[in-house]
Amino acid sequence: MKNNNSLEKHGLSIKAVNRITNTFIYIFLIVMSIFWLAPFVGIVLESLRVETTGQVNYFWPKEFGFDNYIRLFNSSFPKWFLNTLLMGVVVSVLQTGFILSMSYTLSRLRFKGRKGLMNLMLILGMFPGFLTMILIYKVFADIGLTENMAPLGLIIVYCASSGMGYYVSKGFFDTIPKSLDEAARVDGATRWQVFYKVIMPLAKPIIIYTVLMGFMAPWGDYMLARFLINNNDAGTNVAVGMYKWIKGTGDTLYQNYTMFCAAGVVVSVPVTIVFMSLQKYYVEGVTGGAVKG
Amino acid sequence: MASVKLTNVKKIYGKDTVAVQEFNLDIADKEFIVFVGPSGCGKSTTLRMIAGLEEISEGTVEIDGVVVNDLQPRDRDIAMVFQNYALYPHLSVFENMAFPLRLKKVPQDEVYERVTNAAEILGITEYLTRKPRALSGGQRQRVAIGRAMVRDSKVFLMDEPLSNLDAKLRNQMRAEIIMLRKKIDTTFIYVTHDQTEAMTLGDRIVIMKDGFIQQIGTPTQVFDMPDNLFVAEFIGAPKMNTFKTKLVCEDGKYYVTPYGAKIEVTGDKANQLAKRSIKSREIVLGVRPEHITLAKQGDPDAIGCTIQVNEMMGSELHLHVLVDSGDKLIVRIPTVSLTDAERSKLVYGEKMYITFEGKVMHFFDPATEKNLLS
Repeated sequence: MKNNNSLEKHGLSIKAVNRITNTFIYIFLIVMSIFWLAPFVGIVLESLRVETTGQVNYFWPKEFGFDNYIRLFNSSFPKWFLNTLLMGVVVSVLQTGFILSMSYTLSRLRFKGRKGLMNLMLILGMFPGFLTMILIYKVFADIGLTENMAPLGLIIVYCASSGMGYYVSKGFFDTIPKSLDEAARVDGATRWQVFYKVIMPLAKPIIIYTVLMGFMAPWGDYMLARFLINNNDAGTNVAVGMYKWIKGTGDTLYQNYTMFCAAGVVVSVPVTIVFMSLQKYYVEGVTGGAVKG
Repeated sequence: MASVKLTNVKKIYGKDTVAVQEFNLDIADKEFIVFVGPSGCGKSTTLRMIAGLEEISEGTVEIDGVVVNDLQPRDRDIAMVFQNYALYPHLSVFENMAFPLRLKKVPQDEVYERVTNAAEILGITEYLTRKPRALSGGQRQRVAIGRAMVRDSKVFLMDEPLSNLDAKLRNQMRAEIIMLRKKIDTTFIYVTHDQTEAMTLGDRIVIMKDGFIQQIGTPTQVFDMPDNLFVAEFIGAPKMNTFKTKLVCEDGKYYVTPYGAKIEVTGDKANQLAKRSIKSREIVLGVRPEHITLAKQGDPDAIGCTIQVNEMMGSELHLHVLVDSGDKLIVRIPTVSLTDAERSKLVYGEKMYITFEGKVMHFFDPATEKNLLS
């Protein structure tokens, strides 16, 4: 009441104050979204530009059309796209499996060396992955996992150390009460049944997170992919392939720039679909009511 | 329905933290056993060893004559209710209760029948389609009990099932557990830290402290004849008054001499002291608050004291009094026996005189803390 009175003294009701605050918040958010959306809108417009294939110094296309997309799908791009999609799907499935079993194990089972293992992996994880890149290239070149076999090699590399990314999901599993596991075990479940009948349904947000991360890593990777693929067209992924189009500043860039933008739009489609379809689980908390809160 | 036998059960955590030791207990078929004790006494650990959720460091646990030490919880045919309910939040109440049956691949018709039956008994039929988060604490606990009930398991384990409920609901659920027990008629092992629950529910009570069993007995046995000082003070509310004094044997009669008074030990207690030919000695005397009565100033058995706290419980008064020598005692006086004039005197700062019932006193050895008569 006191607050209310003092506001009224200044001639403003709570309603009016709220309205003014909201107005400022909305203005700020709108400006931010313009900044965020501008590059994306720019790329979409660029991809629909027909009058030229190179860079121009004006924003709005003079002529709209799908020429760039038609050129795109007649190039090697579909092959690169499939390579990348295949890697993304395989890696996200395998990596999710690895990470979830790793983190559930570390969260629930007590065994000798558990703490040491966790610390070791944490420390190893602090070294940037590209420190090993040259070594990986050497080994993979020897056993034939480069050039056109590069997608397989890349899948192996992405998955190999994925268990070390256990930290986030272990933290999540730790928040699921242990008594749920115990109740299920007494109810007649095996460890595996506990995992997939009780824990998995509760871990939806973290599964989604892991799947998304697993998919994203190979989807946008350039550095390691460039190493293993070398210049082999059959094994190329989208990032490496697309870079070839804008390498340098001469004719290549001029001929391919709008097509490059079209490819950028196509590349963003799967990621957008995956995010859109999974986001509602991402934020959904499902553990309410399990145990006394 | 099964007997449970624990022989020399011991639990060691890490290298040398002993949680439970020398645990020997025979639980008969269909018996209701309660483990009770303060927190950290090992009661829950023992229950969890029976359930298979904790490894047994030493000794054996048998269910129906079969040693189950190395069996997984799912192979022990037990049901358990957890303190925090442990309901599966993603499943409806029906599916929560059906969960153990589904794992056993019980046919759908039977699942439906058993779950609805259990829900009927527990009065939760109308909530079957809800998720646990839409239930109150009491309803969740019923679902947890229901999930354990539908299994028809050999042993029913309950780990402090009522301690998360508020006082009123706890009383109500306690009564319901007594009724439930008649309906499902199986072997119960119930863990609690609440002596009232232990006394009201158990056929026999196992009182534990620091990992050791202190006494096993029926509620009447542990109340009337506590084996040691710990049990004496743990069972009964308000707790028993205990203090050092002398037991005096004169002309074949026994007296206690607390705070300068001289009170005769009578009845069965006197006979038993005589039978064990116990001589005059130092003792710790135990007197329950309800066995203290009002006395008149000047009587040889009267002890003078001053009232410090007066708790009006309705049917009785709990008085915390300070004896002239400095000890504190709790006195419990039924209000029905008091006149208004008497009651008006039983307030803070007033002087009063009390004495002890001679036939219900308890005598403990000051050194061993054991009951001299057990």
